[in-house]
Amino acid sequence: MAEMEQAIEAAGADVEAAIAAGLARLGVDRDAVEIEVLDEGSRGVLGLGARAARVRLTPKLKAVPRPAPAAPAEPVAPPAVEPAEPAVEEKDEAEVSRVVLLELLELLGIEKARVDVRRAEPAPDEKAPPLVLDVRGSGVNVLVGYRGETLAALQHITRLIVGREMARRVHLVVDVDGFKARREKSLRRLAHRMAEQAVRTNRTVVLDPMPPHERRVIHLALRDHPWVTTQSIGEGNRRKVTIIPRRQ
Amino acid sequence: MASLKELVEFIAKSLVDDPSQVYVSEIEGETSVILELRVGPEDMGRVIGRGGRTANAMRTLVRVLAAKQGKRATLEIV
Repeated sequence: MAEMEQAIEAAGADVEAAIAAGLARLGVDRDAVEIEVLDEGSRGVLGLGARAARVRLTPKLKAVPRPAPAAPAEPVAPPAVEPAEPAVEEKDEAEVSRVVLLELLELLGIEKARVDVRRAEPAPDEKAPPLVLDVRGSGVNVLVGYRGETLAALQHITRLIVGREMARRVHLVVDVDGFKARREKSLRRLAHRMAEQAVRTNRTVVLDPMPPHERRVIHLALRDHPWVTTQSIGEGNRRKVTIIPRRQ
Repeated sequence: MASLKELVEFIAKSLVDDPSQVYVSEIEGETSVILELRVGPEDMGRVIGRGGRTANAMRTLVRVLAAKQGKRATLEIV
């Protein structure tokens, strides 16, 4: 197993959690690796300004894979830190995502932010709801940017890093103070208002340019509308939705 | 104060296969900063992304932090 010999870096809320995450990824016991603490992290004050702990784990040459992966809860992490985890993988993904995002926020000079992680409610047309990371705190509004551009960038980078850390694609959404949730609501209202106008005037209504996920909200909102159809036109970041009255 | 260089370094190192080949240099002017990111040739694709998406996302984040410091920043991947 060639990949067994590779060192990996892992992050966690504290050093113990980082080690535990790394061991879980390698699937080996603690005495099978050399542990190097890269960053002890900090819990911050009252949960503010917390920084992720990072460790590097290098498997020792004759690393023996953990005999039974089913054997739960190796006593690597103090149980007080993690009470009753429902699904190990679920918790891991949420925790890794939170830690990565907090690290990025700190590097962006936003130290007083809090990140709430939750699983989105499943939408009717989605199989697996995404993990939603909502950033809250003072000074977080700069993370939204013009038409949510900064937020999209932050989400893209967070997804990539977490994806690499978990060694698979992750389905996560970064939101700031519920911005996306509010924006979605107002987009749906806009869609219905403009559809009404298209029908009343019997003319095509052209909306402002929007990013892909916002156009998607409009298309979905009017998907079952009896009197209009929607279509996107234009290229790149000039792409916009048109609302077209159906021919009788 | 958070530094532009650290931000770029953290992101790049987290995305590449070979973090030891990640270098960021900072050329500071009075109102502007030019950041140059170097990665191993095998890792170029990872920091640029499909259609330059990752590079542009990094630029957006760099601009946000620079704006806080009253500067304009450009990120070049060389």
